[in-house]
Amino acid sequence: MLAVKTTKLTKRYKDLTAVDELDLEVKQGELFSLLGVNGAGKTTTIRMLCCLAKATSGEACVMGKSCDKDKGDVKSIVGISPQDTAVAPRLTVRENLMFMCRVYGFDKQKCVQRTGELISKFGMQKVADSRAKTLSGGWKRKLSIAMALIGEPQVLFLDEPTLGLDVLARRELWREIESLKGKLTIILTTHYMEEAEQLSDRIAIMTGGRIAALGTLSEIEKQAGVQGLENAFVAIVEGSVQK
Amino acid sequence: MNRIFAFTRRNIIELLRDPLGYIFCLGFPLIMLIIMTLVDQSIPKEAVTVFHIENLAPGVAVFGQMFVMLFTALNVSTDRSGTFLMRLYATPMTAADLTAGYIIPMLIIAEIQTVITFAAAFVISVIIGSTLSIGGMILCMLTLIPSALMFIGIGLIFGVLLNEKTAPGLCSVVISIGSFFGGIWFDAQRTGGVMLTICKCTPFFYCTRSARSAMALSFTGESFVLPLLIVVMCAAFMIALGCLSFSKKMRADLG
Repeated sequence: MLAVKTTKLTKRYKDLTAVDELDLEVKQGELFSLLGVNGAGKTTTIRMLCCLAKATSGEACVMGKSCDKDKGDVKSIVGISPQDTAVAPRLTVRENLMFMCRVYGFDKQKCVQRTGELISKFGMQKVADSRAKTLSGGWKRKLSIAMALIGEPQVLFLDEPTLGLDVLARRELWREIESLKGKLTIILTTHYMEEAEQLSDRIAIMTGGRIAALGTLSEIEKQAGVQGLENAFVAIVEGSVQK
Repeated sequence: MNRIFAFTRRNIIELLRDPLGYIFCLGFPLIMLIIMTLVDQSIPKEAVTVFHIENLAPGVAVFGQMFVMLFTALNVSTDRSGTFLMRLYATPMTAADLTAGYIIPMLIIAEIQTVITFAAAFVISVIIGSTLSIGGMILCMLTLIPSALMFIGIGLIFGVLLNEKTAPGLCSVVISIGSFFGGIWFDAQRTGGVMLTICKCTPFFYCTRSARSAMALSFTGESFVLPLLIVVMCAAFMIALGCLSFSKKMRADLG
């Protein structure tokens, strides 16, 4: 079974087509990156896959469940870390994680166990009792990803997880994301080519709501006829704009 | 039920850790209670009865509830402006879980605020030698539950329709209008004419009237039953409209 499958998935906002007949297949356990300039349709695609936006037409399935007909099932198997660090600012790191545990209906023992696991996994012991609003950008991102993992999702969506982070915080977060590889399917959107190169099994480049290129790094380089993801990205996006 | 409890708990903690909540929801009403008692002590006893502690305490309690409206609006609009609600939309939480999780903590805060206001009023009444009736205070606190729900409903509507910058502004307008036409700082009942007609067209007048009647243990149809009935109906309407607005906004966000 595929982790994600979309068939002619389309999202229109009045005159704007944000996602245009998107056909996409992501295998289980893959770390799949969606690249594209602003407005390419990456976030809208993720929103539809998390049941946060309704498709205008076409179909999206996550782990075989329809994002339209089986919303409850899809919501119970996905986790999302949105672009902004969506955390409760006056709650501590531990309280934020406990809150998410309760939202997923865990009993007290499992709440404590799962919270402890994630604090340990992300090395957040020293900030566990600090309020979220006092944390640095890097810690907030880690907390945001930990909150997305609380419900033990089978598919994790990371929407620009390292946006605005300094280079050290970004590298640290990459290590955390890499440590999750293979344990669940991860779909990542990013503007950082280096990030996609470093982390992804496969990459899709979106432009105008469509996929302009899809494959491993070497396949994309081959398709663009240039070396390096950044050069390939520019060649593909500019080529697609000229068409 | 667990999800409602989880969200209620989160909202209570967030509110209790906001220093502005203490200043506006507790500090300001208590300061007004003290200032108006001082005013009452400085003028002839028979001049203005509204500043006597037995009339002032219910009025200030209604005034305090208006700040609960402000904080409901701020809480909802702030969650909406970030992506925190979006994260919750992607979990099994429903619109009903979220609205209940906003209403219940604010009702708890409103009740705590009312108890503290009456406790302070009781201490003041002992100091000035005009002891308040304990039974009257308890009945007044119960009478104030529907008005608390009404203000929470209005706050929920503002929080859904406005952003975190405009919601407090509009709430301030409602607080000014409400405290004026509610007859908190003057006896609206004695004004008559157009003024009394305008006051009677707002629900705030009935909140103060029913609360003051409960405090005075006066349960006549005109002074207590009818005003309380109007407040209950307004509370039911505002809460229903608030829940409907939230649910509609959630559907639009997920559209």
